[in-house]
Amino acid sequence: MNALRRHRKLQAIWASDPGWKGWTSSVNHSDLGRMFLFTAFFFFLVGGVLAMLIRAQLATPDSAFVDAGAFAQFFTMHGTIMMFLFAIPAFEGLAIYLLPKMLGTRDLAFPRLTAYGYWCYAFGGALLLVAMLFGIAPNGGWFMYPPLTGPLYSPGINTDVWLIGITFVEISAICAAVEFTVSILKYRAPGMSLDKMPIFAWYALVTSLMILTGFPPLILGSVLLEVERAFGLPFFQADLGGDSLLWQHLFWLFGHPEVYIIFLPAAGVISTVIPVMARTTLLGYGWIVASIMALAFLSFGLWVHHMFTTGIPLMGLAFFSAASTLVAVPTGVQIFAWIGTMWKGRPELHMPMLHILGFFVTFVIGGLTGVMVAVVPFDWQAHDTAFITAHLHYVLFGGFVFPMLAGIYYWLPLVSGRKRLFRLGELAFALIFLGFHSTFLAMHWVGLLGQRRRIETYDAESGWGTINFISSVSSFVMAIGLALVLVDIIIHAFVAERSRRNPWQAGTLEWAGMSPPASYNFASLPEVSDRTPLYETPDLANRLAMGDGYLGAPKAARRETLMVDAASGRPEALVIYPGNTRLPILMAAMTGGFFLSILLKLFWLTPLALAGVAALALVWVWQLGARADQGLQEAGRGAPLPLASEGDRSPGWWGSIFLLVANATFFGSLLFGYAFLWTVAPGWPPAQWFVPSWAELGLGTGAALTGAIAQHLSARRNRAGAALMTALVPALLATAATVVVFGLMLFRLPPPDGHAYAATLLILGAYGLAHALLVMLMQGFLILQVRRGYTSPRRRAAFAVVALWTDYLAAITVLILLAVHLPGMIM
Amino acid sequence: MKELLRVLLPLLVWLASFSAIYGLHGLGCASGWTEVALPVMSLFRWVLFLAWSATIFFQLLLLLALRTQRFDTTSSFIRRLSITNSWTALIATFWTLYPIAVSSTCG
Repeated sequence: MNALRRHRKLQAIWASDPGWKGWTSSVNHSDLGRMFLFTAFFFFLVGGVLAMLIRAQLATPDSAFVDAGAFAQFFTMHGTIMMFLFAIPAFEGLAIYLLPKMLGTRDLAFPRLTAYGYWCYAFGGALLLVAMLFGIAPNGGWFMYPPLTGPLYSPGINTDVWLIGITFVEISAICAAVEFTVSILKYRAPGMSLDKMPIFAWYALVTSLMILTGFPPLILGSVLLEVERAFGLPFFQADLGGDSLLWQHLFWLFGHPEVYIIFLPAAGVISTVIPVMARTTLLGYGWIVASIMALAFLSFGLWVHHMFTTGIPLMGLAFFSAASTLVAVPTGVQIFAWIGTMWKGRPELHMPMLHILGFFVTFVIGGLTGVMVAVVPFDWQAHDTAFITAHLHYVLFGGFVFPMLAGIYYWLPLVSGRKRLFRLGELAFALIFLGFHSTFLAMHWVGLLGQRRRIETYDAESGWGTINFISSVSSFVMAIGLALVLVDIIIHAFVAERSRRNPWQAGTLEWAGMSPPASYNFASLPEVSDRTPLYETPDLANRLAMGDGYLGAPKAARRETLMVDAASGRPEALVIYPGNTRLPILMAAMTGGFFLSILLKLFWLTPLALAGVAALALVWVWQLGARADQGLQEAGRGAPLPLASEGDRSPGWWGSIFLLVANATFFGSLLFGYAFLWTVAPGWPPAQWFVPSWAELGLGTGAALTGAIAQHLSARRNRAGAALMTALVPALLATAATVVVFGLMLFRLPPPDGHAYAATLLILGAYGLAHALLVMLMQGFLILQVRRGYTSPRRRAAFAVVALWTDYLAAITVLILLAVHLPGMIM
Repeated sequence: MKELLRVLLPLLVWLASFSAIYGLHGLGCASGWTEVALPVMSLFRWVLFLAWSATIFFQLLLLLALRTQRFDTTSSFIRRLSITNSWTALIATFWTLYPIAVSSTCG
């Protein structure tokens, strides 16, 4: 088969449906990556317009441009859009587009999940935008502190829009994080061991793990605040055993890692681009990987530094102050590694490099002001002033926008297959750089003079007028610069001439395919033995196109790629992907129905929407099944491999592991909240304890453990080819007993709107009940699969997945029952 | 998976110990341990000091274990990475919790 025939055959298998309707059914990572990026930059535009309105209002003292209510919506939506609808999705889009190409594979691990994540993001973002158009946008600041955002002080729908819209969007981030983690660990080119991974993949891996552990506390906080607003459960009301500080803890448990979740992917772009621009290799690859990990972990020990003025005891403050100073060290390691890389190479000042220089200046200043506010006495002075706003913009614009612009200019020839025509980008950079620094240096200054953040106006006598005017004019200069980048890209996309392949002479695999990339990425998958395969094998692109790699002989209508051993990159299994489908958009719409039903208080719709999601999920999984064993498959290069679905460690098992990591973090945050309220909140102990029951405790614990043991037994019997129902049915019955125990517990609770104690028990019980029902659904589904012949000793992947969830159910059941029954027994 | 755990373990232990000692600090303040006088220092500071010492000791053990052949790995990259992370975790344990020795308690 020659290269052209192979291309046509692969294109027929992998291409999305033609026309705009194809967008709704595409599961291709290149399509979805572009859609993510396009949508994220649309939101960047909206957030930018809001910033202009804010600066227009603050340009002069006593301004009457907008009223206080509209101003509150503007700054809340500006922060919310930039953090949740631009920065994180832009990373997701970039990683969705690039990772499979960099890793030498044909798609991400779960293509339908990528599409589902995109539609959740698009629908959730649209919800927030529509609310803004109707004048009911969130208005409590992007971190939504209660009691301001509680039912008493924010009775309208504005806060609910934020809580529900953002939770909907966060589903997308969790989906992407699971997707990236599994893809990076298991979907790489053969031979690509962990030490040969492109550095961007390390950044994406660590960022994904941070999303999995950083986002659940905020999801929990949003659930608790929404439940308080909708049903009066008093988690944050001090007079009923709640504490508004709990929100701050949950929010910043997410919020500080979020800063690094935004910075790390951008740093990944820098670590990728600098060596290419400097015609050398990255200095200190291993040190950088270690520093990324250190940064990720330390970032979870910093959250209280956003709460230095809340009256927390001094020793507690000192822990977080010390951690905040320590985090500068791994950041410094990376900065010095980048400087060292430029030092050992011959840097060329192309367009991406300009933005990287902009990053260096801006981010280092932002980092230094960060060390200033890490020192408690300084923070007490600067807290909630414009100094903090300026600091965070230096970190986020410097640490994310400049690197992203560098990345856009670096990968634009790959995406478009064209080379730049005009030199508009240089002018744009100059305007952005000068505009940004004038805007925010001035804001530091006015902050130190005492201007508080989020005020809609100020007196002429304050002396802040000139500085604010300079800041506002400069912000418009920056906006013109960003608009010029947009014009530059549009001109590039439509007018510029064709570029040669790999114009930067880079060494990573994304440049080994076609430009623009084909839907299948690689005609055959490379065998990798170096971190920069294109330097080691300059004609690799041609060899892959000619089929000189794995999976070079496409089989009719099968989208194939390889799964490898996580550490060594040794090929382990053949993966067959599902094709184009509208299932993801349907499921996202149904998920949206669930969120809308809560927002609009149409509670009759909630169970219907949930049932719809469950039904579509079952169809989703059912489509993956097969009714016959397929055995070893030819994967090229004389490597017969089993199918990934014919083993214990299927993609679904790996996905479940990381989803459970996020789930366990959510549960851990809930237990933390329980302990926090108990020890810190006023109004404890409650007037009425839950009446403990040894019988329920024993039955629940026994049922959950029996369910887990029986589920494992069924997996063992399946492998041995023995009868399965003798284990599967007891497992199902045991889970049903767990459902009953949680139901009884919820039935016997003290009134949950009377005290935070009972409200917390209600959430714990509901969490347990939801998981027990979910596991019952899985077990019932597995029984159906067994009866219809979808399993065999070889086709056993579903058993391992269900066993994992049953184990998790057993663990949380024991913990929940102890947390609920023990206090009543002891007290 | 084993390699990933090996690399992440020292930092996970730091995170767990940092959170646990912060929690212990909250519990001690809420329970009035500062008022219970023991030789040399209060019960509160003894408890925190012992917890901090135990964590440092555990991190040292982990560092030594990762250097032994028994817990070795075939990948020199993974070995170097896990030992570097172990040093990071040890330093972080010392630095982020040193306020136990010098700071005022629940004021």
